[in-house]
Amino acid sequence: MQHVARVSIVREETAAPAIEVAGVSHVYAGREGAVPALDDISLSVGAGRFTVIVGPSGCGKTSLLMMMAGLRHQSSGIINIAGQPITDPDPRRVGVVFQEASLYPWLTALDNIEFPLALRHAPREERRRRAEEMLTLVGLQGFGSRYPHELSGGMKQRVSIARGLVQDPPVLLMDEPFAALDEQTRMTMGHELLRIWEKTNKTVVFVTHSLTEAVYLADEVLVMSARPGKIIDRIPITLARPRTYEMMATDVFGRLRDRIWQQIRTG
Amino acid sequence: MRRPSPTAVRWMILLAVLAVWEILPRGGFIAELLLPPLSKTLMALFHERAQYAMAMVVTLYEVGFAMLIACGGGIIVGALIGGLALLRKLLLPVFSSLYAVPIVILYPIFTAWFGIGSESKILFAGVYGFFPVMLSTAAGIRTIEEQLLVAARSMGATVPQQITRVIIPAAIPTVLTGLRLGGALTIIGVVVSEMLTSAAGIGYLVTSYRTVLDSPHVFAAVLMILVFSVLFDAFARFVERKTLIWQTAGRRERTTARPDTRIASAAAPA
Repeated sequence: MQHVARVSIVREETAAPAIEVAGVSHVYAGREGAVPALDDISLSVGAGRFTVIVGPSGCGKTSLLMMMAGLRHQSSGIINIAGQPITDPDPRRVGVVFQEASLYPWLTALDNIEFPLALRHAPREERRRRAEEMLTLVGLQGFGSRYPHELSGGMKQRVSIARGLVQDPPVLLMDEPFAALDEQTRMTMGHELLRIWEKTNKTVVFVTHSLTEAVYLADEVLVMSARPGKIIDRIPITLARPRTYEMMATDVFGRLRDRIWQQIRTG
Repeated sequence: MRRPSPTAVRWMILLAVLAVWEILPRGGFIAELLLPPLSKTLMALFHERAQYAMAMVVTLYEVGFAMLIACGGGIIVGALIGGLALLRKLLLPVFSSLYAVPIVILYPIFTAWFGIGSESKILFAGVYGFFPVMLSTAAGIRTIEEQLLVAARSMGATVPQQITRVIIPAAIPTVLTGLRLGGALTIIGVVVSEMLTSAAGIGYLVTSYRTVLDSPHVFAAVLMILVFSVLFDAFARFVERKTLIWQTAGRRERTTARPDTRIASAAAPA
């Protein structure tokens, strides 16, 4: 139980939070009047921290993430990213990785990664150089000229991560990025993501349904309740870094996962 | 014996058909009035080659302009209908029903309005080919995966950038299919209208030789139309294939199992 002994070693929180969500509520117009979707959500994520949001289906965790990305607008409350309110997508502050099928099938892996740079008319050489760097970072050297249909599910998500990071934003938001992958690929990808995260020092917010994935990846797990979504628990994950697959078999890991499950069931 | 390839079999069938075309009338199994032998048909074509060439030029000219109307109009209207919800609700049901109407019944009206020259053929065939192009363009734009647009927005794409960099490339496959169908209908429209009321074109030759019971010349014209249509379809398919490599592959992938195992190289990451 050597890992348990190292449990107390956790990352120190840095001073300025990278993400601040203050009193965010959301109400949308349903068929039978106003439906409250998010209820007074406040949270703060320190720079460089890995935060995972879990909760039952329809609890609004993806909505919250889309609001952090500036892709949807909350009814009230403020979201600050890197000290500034976010109202519209800003790829220089926030990169987003989606569940699947968000790569452009008519572009090669490299062109997909370059896409955000092409949108703001970056010089061709700079685009290529950045995209190649990102391709190497996600472990896909030599696959740059492949089209998405020539890549496996895991490789496609590597390209998505590279695309999210290509403008070097301080924050990376991930909406169930590995949900469509098989169990084995998913484990590998979780491990890879941690490697990339440790290398790049990004602030990550990661939405998932998988409790194992949540505990394995997170510094802190936020548990949301069913609609209207509220944060009902914040669970610091005190497992040492770097995380290893063996940790999943430990008692600490099991207890953390059970606590999250209890909260989701009763919340 | 080795099994011949499908392509070889196709060519063999074609040769067989041509051989039968020659043998049946020659052997007296079919009256030459109903089916003149292939050789006689080709001879007729050769003797009157100037006349057939002139007729073909007229037909090609009409097909060309009709395709401009069908493809240009179809893409523009289709893009508007596919892109704007209000127009779609108002017009799509109307256009979809119109597509089912045998538009050929309108041809007499076209001749009354535009005369029996090329104008009426061009307009009639243009309208005829317009519908599949318009409907598939609208469908192509309407069925774009929402996720592709959300991703573009997350990367800071402006609305014009979303149109040029996401919507148009994503719609191209469906639009091309529409162009192939629309193009074929345009050819049909021109030939049919030439056969009905006209004084020029390859369809006119079919009708005029038929009235004097000159079978070899009728079949010669039919043969030209056949070859022309087949060539057009082959060309359209070729363009489609060239453009759609990623699309057809994507479809295949979705219908089969996870593609993870497909990349066999041991060095490939997950």
